[in-house]
Amino acid sequence: MPTAPITLAATDLSSYLPILILVGMAVTFGVFNVVASNLLGPSRTGKVKEKTYESGMDTIGSAHKRFNVRFYIIAMVFLVFDIEIIFLYPWAVTFPNIDQSTPDALLWLGRILFFVFTTVVAYVYGVRKGVFRFD
Amino acid sequence: MNNVIAQLWPEIALFVTTCLVMVVGLSKDRGTRKLCAPISAIGIIVAGYLAATTSVDTATTLPFMAKYGKVLAAGVGLLLLMLMAGTADRQLEDAVDRGEKFEPLRSTRAEFYAFFLFSLMGLMLCAGASDLIFLFLALELTSLPTYVMVALSTRRDRSMEAGVKYFFLGAMGAAMFLFGFALIYGATGSTALADVAYTIQNRAAGTGSIGPLALTGLVLSLLGVMFKIAAVPMHFYTADVYQGAASSVTAFLAFVPKCAGFFAIMLLVGCAGWAFGPDGYGSGTALPPELRILLWTIAVLTMTVGNVLALLQTSVKRILAYSSIAHSGYMLVGVIAGPGPAESTLASNGLAAVLFYLLTYGVMSVGTFSVVAALERRRRATAADAAIDEVDHIDELRGLWKRQPHLAAVMVICALGLLGLPPLLGFLGKLPLFTSALGAGEIVLVVILGLNSAIAAAYYLRLVSVPFLESGEPSTPDAVVPTPFPSRALAGVVAAVLVVVAGLAGGTLGSHAERAGTFRFPTKTMEATRHASQPTSTVSVPPDAAERGPNAR
Repeated sequence: MPTAPITLAATDLSSYLPILILVGMAVTFGVFNVVASNLLGPSRTGKVKEKTYESGMDTIGSAHKRFNVRFYIIAMVFLVFDIEIIFLYPWAVTFPNIDQSTPDALLWLGRILFFVFTTVVAYVYGVRKGVFRFD
Repeated sequence: MNNVIAQLWPEIALFVTTCLVMVVGLSKDRGTRKLCAPISAIGIIVAGYLAATTSVDTATTLPFMAKYGKVLAAGVGLLLLMLMAGTADRQLEDAVDRGEKFEPLRSTRAEFYAFFLFSLMGLMLCAGASDLIFLFLALELTSLPTYVMVALSTRRDRSMEAGVKYFFLGAMGAAMFLFGFALIYGATGSTALADVAYTIQNRAAGTGSIGPLALTGLVLSLLGVMFKIAAVPMHFYTADVYQGAASSVTAFLAFVPKCAGFFAIMLLVGCAGWAFGPDGYGSGTALPPELRILLWTIAVLTMTVGNVLALLQTSVKRILAYSSIAHSGYMLVGVIAGPGPAESTLASNGLAAVLFYLLTYGVMSVGTFSVVAALERRRRATAADAAIDEVDHIDELRGLWKRQPHLAAVMVICALGLLGLPPLLGFLGKLPLFTSALGAGEIVLVVILGLNSAIAAAYYLRLVSVPFLESGEPSTPDAVVPTPFPSRALAGVVAAVLVVVAGLAGGTLGSHAERAGTFRFPTKTMEATRHASQPTSTVSVPPDAAERGPNAR
């Protein structure tokens, strides 16, 4: 472990120049379009033009609709199982390289099975809580 | 890799128990649901046994703290579990008794016990932490479940309010200590606590001070962790959260985050070391001067604010909340005192004194909270469960000696213990704090500690005397009756018995704390042990796989 203060290696920032130019182009394009249409376009407003759009007809009902919490819960459940998948990827890529005849391979398999077991517990909990009931 | 798993068997046992409890608590059968608490108890006992027999010394400046901390967590955790009976799902189960169908969606029992065990698991991980990132994860695992436990504890709005307050302020504290950890990494180039300690103290030996970046990192981390132990200036949440949560959850909050916070504080302050003196590093046995001033101010303010504000309270839970703030202040005195000279005993090792005090304080606080948790207020007119509320006002404890003498005895013994009256356990816990601080030369701090203990007598003696007073004119028209959960009273009785018995025969417990508080000055060999304990990969790869790559078969 170094005992002197850490010094950063000098980085060559010129390789980032194309990214800066690209960002500049994107910003300029956006700003130019908005400003130009404000300056060059006609400015005619009216009562009908200011109304909320609903396929060209008079609006029915309020825009503040309630929707069921099941969508949010499904997103949360997706997050849990997605994290599990992320942990499975490196294991899946490394596992075929292990010599299958040694006990190490069984240990590796056992570890990932324990991890999958925890996900099964989460799944059973979710089923009992009614998370997957979508009626 | 196997060595890392070897350190984690107690936590793995708790985790398996959590998985079981989460599923069992949602079963359709009433009897299976009631198994949640016994399964948790078995899990905690197994975890405690594993911690006592299979602990590995961590590669930090406090190598023996892991075993002590884990066994402490299991022991007091078992008492806290006994207090938790009936906290979750009481109204739901009464409705099921009346004939309604069990609704798993409305039930909170499974989650409640699972979070209880998760938080206890986090506490054990904290005790065994050897890395900044590990420590952060452990601290968060300890606190996040407590936020939910507070919010779920009763069906009233005030526990939800307490939970929201606790969550937001706790998240702010966590952000602060995470920033501090990042700065410490920036200053030292490593997150392993052994390397951090070695780098900082080596630099201090060379240049005389620990450096501004490391100092900023340490200060920020300590301030963030001060939230957990409810030290001034991060104490503002304590009274409202302790009062809003159900009494059993308050007992949990009074012990577990405080324990985790002190483990973290000792590990962090140990990175700076207690070797500073008037001539810089190596000339004394004190903290670096900036850290010492900060911790000194925080300790004095914490003790004083906690004790003075407790005098003004009429709610038992708020009194105990401010008293817990004061006890954090007392323990900070031990942290300032430091480990003393090498081969020091409990009387001169401030860190061992803190660890022992955590044990004594945990047992006594469980006792006092159990008296509040074992009583409830019921409207005299009807027996409907909608009219059941907690006992909170101190006048509701009047006449307890006549009605429930065992609870009154528990309150008397534990309050006297918290006061520090010999020969109870509290005195045995407080004495090493005094002597170690005196040994470190902190005379003013010891005087302030003594004064504060005297101020505390005012409200502890109030708690002791109230059960003997006549009920007289009942201050509320409700009756104060014991709850239908005998394990809560049992937890209090066990705690009171421990306070008396261990107070008389506390030698062995003290010697465990003494060993746990051994401070090992960071050396190059500490690193070598750490690196050597992580074996290079022993997984065998078939010789031709390396050439062909993973996808060729």
